Amino acid sequence: MAQMKYYYELTISSSPHVHSPVTTQTIMRDVLIALAPALIGSVYFFGLRALTVTMVSAIAAFFFEKLYCYLMKQNDKTYDLSCIVTGVLLAFVCPPTIPYWMIIVGDAFAIILVKMLFGGIGKNIVNPALAGRAFMFSWPVAMSTWVKVGFENAANPLNAADAVTAATPLANMHQGLLPEASVMDAFLGNVGGCIGETSALLLLIGFAYLLYRKVITARIPLAYIGTVAVLSFLFPMGQDRITWMAYQLFTGGLMLGAIFMATDYVTSPLTKLGQTVYGIGCGVLTIMIRYFGGYNEGVSYAILIMNCCVVLLDRIGRPVKFGAPKKEAAKK
Amino acid sequence: MKTENTALYILRLALTLFIIAAVVAAALAGVNSITKPVIDQLNAEKTQKAIEAVLPGGFDEELANFDNQGGLVSKVYKGANGYALEVLPSGFDNTITMMVGVDTEGKVLGISIVSHTETAGLGAVAAAQTSAGEAFRGQFVGQSGSVGVTKDGGTLDAITGATITSRAICVGVNAALACVAGLG
Amino acid sequence: MNFKKQFKDGLLDKNPVFVQLLGMCSTLAITTSLFNGIGMGLAVTIITICSNVLISALRKVIPNQIRIAAYITIIAGFVTVVDLLLKAYIPALSESLGVFIPLIVVNCMVLGRAEAFASKNGVLASAVDGLCQGIGYTVALVIVCVVREFLGSGTFGGGLLNGGEGIRILPEGVPAMQMVMPVGGFLAMGCILAGFQYMTRKMENARKDKEAAK
Repeated sequence: MAQMKYYYELTISSSPHVHSPVTTQTIMRDVLIALAPALIGSVYFFGLRALTVTMVSAIAAFFFEKLYCYLMKQNDKTYDLSCIVTGVLLAFVCPPTIPYWMIIVGDAFAIILVKMLFGGIGKNIVNPALAGRAFMFSWPVAMSTWVKVGFENAANPLNAADAVTAATPLANMHQGLLPEASVMDAFLGNVGGCIGETSALLLLIGFAYLLYRKVITARIPLAYIGTVAVLSFLFPMGQDRITWMAYQLFTGGLMLGAIFMATDYVTSPLTKLGQTVYGIGCGVLTIMIRYFGGYNEGVSYAILIMNCCVVLLDRIGRPVKFGAPKKEAAKK
Repeated sequence: MKTENTALYILRLALTLFIIAAVVAAALAGVNSITKPVIDQLNAEKTQKAIEAVLPGGFDEELANFDNQGGLVSKVYKGANGYALEVLPSGFDNTITMMVGVDTEGKVLGISIVSHTETAGLGAVAAAQTSAGEAFRGQFVGQSGSVGVTKDGGTLDAITGATITSRAICVGVNAALACVAGLG
Repeated sequence: MNFKKQFKDGLLDKNPVFVQLLGMCSTLAITTSLFNGIGMGLAVTIITICSNVLISALRKVIPNQIRIAAYITIIAGFVTVVDLLLKAYIPALSESLGVFIPLIVVNCMVLGRAEAFASKNGVLASAVDGLCQGIGYTVALVIVCVVREFLGSGTFGGGLLNGGEGIRILPEGVPAMQMVMPVGGFLAMGCILAGFQYMTRKMENARKDKEAAK
């Protein structure tokens, strides 16, 4: 069996061959570690339910991948932990009051329809967690009910109905108003929102860890966040430019999306130029949806749309083979 | 076919198509002459019903001259108890066609939504024959001057998760109120 | 003429929706309640039968070069007639299907049958073909409708049973609204197509095994 597995994973490429200790499993483990600060923060802001929802989602995602592999008699690759990352990320983009069965359905959609049916890890076209969230807007009321932060308002792990609800900063900003919470609160995460998205600070800590471990490069997040910063600075909606820009950066799912979702290896471009264009595209779409769209938040749809463009973005900025004729010469 | 490129053949093509088109057109004219009165009657009944829902006693005449509030008000019917106005605000998805009844003192008598394409379960609540839908529409009765949802500083509760639809309906009611105020 | 084969073609082997993938626009757009599915299916069936009969009768008169234009004119004529009749006598269906009734003109299934069958076969065979393909289309539509209505609205028989409300199976708040939105059309269609292919493939294999055993 071990031999079989080895054969299956044997990739044929030209020499030189260098052994590397980096596997999908270690990468995914690093991503999970990088997500941990945000998860701990969410328990502080939203109570224990944030943790239980995240765990239920991770277990469900793992279970559905195992089930699919079993039913379709496919090589079980759940040990690479990528399904756990999907489960955690899906929970991170849902409100803490989300009913458990809804997030389980979301996991089933993300894992089975978006990931496994397209061929499993490495072959999905769009980010499974974001596609799962898009599908979960089937229950728009549950997906846009936000609890007030603070442990005393926290959602009960067993009964979410008694949580105190409040509007998110993004809902205010959608109408061109500054939110009630201060910029500092927004930066620290002391505002309403999805489980994992509220604290820009904790997400940035995770970002630093991923950069340190060289799991991701900073190109896509910087291009993405930079574009949002420039556009919101240039076009503030009748408010102080700097404050407006700060709110745009620190609220909603921007940090989470830019650091953990737009950088997904499978669904982002490979070339440097492609990655830059991809990041800028995400930023422009996010601002467009936030300013002109029907929903308050545009990060998830912006990334999903750019995911679909990756196949084209991969064609730009390809390095020229050594010794290959220059373009002009090739044309002639 | 040997004759494919001759003028006669081209004429045959044209003539065949012409005859087919002419026969189809004649058949359509025939069907139309039968169905038109039925369809007209149905439409008239539908309008009548919508008006009676918001204006007790129905209407006596349709006014031709009114301020259409930037294209929002499409029709104005005058009755003994006030006016019924057909207004077309833009909803979340598309134009909402709604009927607003306004009494002679400029107070809303009632609203009813004739057709819409709002999201099922959210914006569609505004038109639904459910307790939530009736509660939402009921808020408008007796309002005058200008209405708005609480989010915009008004007094009306928006439908949960459908602020845009709720706002659109407020825009429609405001246009109707302004139009009636202009009528004197 | 083989009525049995034509019927099996229409329903399974050459099902207009599941095998030929024709008429996708209406299949994805209107399949949100049983009422819509049956209504649309019947309208398309009637139009296909009528246009097949007329086109088959005129197949020797219509020159090859202008056949498509002639077919479309004939189809458009029938569609408009059906549209007017529905508006006058079944206004509820006409309102529910909206623009998709006039759009039957460009439903590839109707033109496809005219081009592939009626222009080469006799009047009676063409009429039977129109009927069988229409039934296949209706059955396919009804299947998609039932799935989407169950998942998206949680009801069965919307627009028809229980005074138009449909029989509630899932409680309010549980059904996934996306399934009655356009995206749900694609999702449901994809999954049903996969299931249909799986089923027919299995039937085919069973048949081959039987033949091999002989």
